[in-house]
Amino acid sequence: MSLEIESMVRYASPINPAVFPHLTLLLLGIGIFFTAWFFVYEVTSTKLSRDLFKELLLSLVAALFSGFGILFLLLWVGIYV
Amino acid sequence: MACTSANVVKCHCQKKWSSVTMPAMAKIQFCFTFILFIAINCASVNVDNISSDVKFKNVDRTIDLSSQLVKISQKITLENSGKSPVKSFLVAVEASSKNNLAYIGAKDSSGKDLRVSETTVKGHDSAKFWRVDLKDALNAGSTVVVTSETVFTKALQPYPTAITQQEDQLVKYTGNLYVYSPYQVTSQKTNVVVVTKGIESFSKVKPFSQQDGAIQYGPYPNVAPFTEKELSVHYKNNSPFLTVTRIERLIEVSHWGNIAIEELIEVEHTGAKLKGPFSRYDYQQDLHSGPASVRSYKTLLPASASDVYYRDTNGNISTSNMKVKKDSVELDLRPRYPLFGGWKTHYTLGYNVPSYEYLYHSGNEYLLKMRVIDHIFDDMQVDELTTKIILPEGSVGIKLNVPYPVTRLADSLHYTYLDTKGRPVITFKKSNVVENHIQDFQLRYTFPRLLMFQEPLLVVGFLYALFLLVIIYVRLDFSIHKAEHQHKD
Repeated sequence: MSLEIESMVRYASPINPAVFPHLTLLLLGIGIFFTAWFFVYEVTSTKLSRDLFKELLLSLVAALFSGFGILFLLLWVGIYV
Repeated sequence: MACTSANVVKCHCQKKWSSVTMPAMAKIQFCFTFILFIAINCASVNVDNISSDVKFKNVDRTIDLSSQLVKISQKITLENSGKSPVKSFLVAVEASSKNNLAYIGAKDSSGKDLRVSETTVKGHDSAKFWRVDLKDALNAGSTVVVTSETVFTKALQPYPTAITQQEDQLVKYTGNLYVYSPYQVTSQKTNVVVVTKGIESFSKVKPFSQQDGAIQYGPYPNVAPFTEKELSVHYKNNSPFLTVTRIERLIEVSHWGNIAIEELIEVEHTGAKLKGPFSRYDYQQDLHSGPASVRSYKTLLPASASDVYYRDTNGNISTSNMKVKKDSVELDLRPRYPLFGGWKTHYTLGYNVPSYEYLYHSGNEYLLKMRVIDHIFDDMQVDELTTKIILPEGSVGIKLNVPYPVTRLADSLHYTYLDTKGRPVITFKKSNVVENHIQDFQLRYTFPRLLMFQEPLLVVGFLYALFLLVIIYVRLDFSIHKAEHQHKD
């Protein structure tokens, strides 16, 4: 019932390791941009001008891009998580 | 080997039953029963009888003593002198050398492996027996040619046991002049290969002849079963006497397309001990100084190996070279100091290979097919091997299939970057390993593909939590006095 090796295909990474550096730079770049935007917004806005929805949205986008960027950075430097 | 396959089949069913239903405690319990199960299974071997129909018509034996190992290959012409067909025959190893035996295998005339399984014979408790199953039954009156190969470790004794830096290493081999067999041997010849002109002494039983680096004995007619007569050869052997006393091989599988391999190796020179002082000056001046010492050796890695590192507790060992060849990566490893008799060293060797070389899949079912142990140096002997396989976090339904009997240890967990509940680790052990044990194991497991997103989402979650903290922090007011009407000045 268990599959034979002949019927299986070789497993390669879902993302080609050759593009890890590019992905890292792109994703981390976007991530840092949004992180910066978020912090600049936090320190410049006042109690009255603050918009919670905008804060949450900015931080979510920043976290998503930075998170995936950090993952590909780890993979690029050889920490295969 | 029969014993292994039986084990594997049986443990499949047990394993499934355990992984489906049992929590952690029961799993540990199961692991112990599993080890017990293997132990019992390998201890209770089959009992065979010596058939009087089988005869060894002719045996050509080659005893290769040119390295630190003793490799004996026998070309056996098997004859069935009875009336009924014979399906299998026995190969025996004498009591004096059975503990040194590392590997035994048999091939038919076309070079295909035959099944060899350990067995016992009543009345011959001291010797060890193996049953070789023939591909096709041997009909009455016909003959078949089978080649058996045995490898013994630690069978060459340094004699003298201690030498100075300048001296050659002399070793003594003690074996059996005749083929040790449970059957009558009609005719036999033995060829002892030593690849040196420096033979001090050897047993002289006529007819024999000596040529450069080889001694021929025989043919000896009609030798009775279980005949033993001492054959000893005392000769010069400066080949590296290196023993890997311990090796731990770690295989870490990542589904991001990489398999990392790390080997922690402890090596000892187990030849004649060094007597007197060691002169580095003499050693550097004269290339022929220290003929029995080991300056460097070659390790062969898979052709796809990359990011190789060679280091010990002090850091990188820079005296190493790497050559990328067509079908392998050759490492020329030079320990920090030359190894003389009794000297030890230890180091770590690691490299990466891409997953598509060794990992197969079909949907969420994965199969890892890798070597239990890889090449360390030519004619290696390994006292104790531990292989650990670290699978991605969340792998379940793990089934191990090994090419020869090993002792499986309890499964454990390994924690590294971005882990939550730990990665499953499969560990097994084997002692007395030689080059012939470089064979593939197969490890099957199930891994839901979506779990690959767990690692990036962990980072995302952590960062988002940090941002939320900032959002909450800016809403807190720590000022002592009220900031009322501040902006209305």
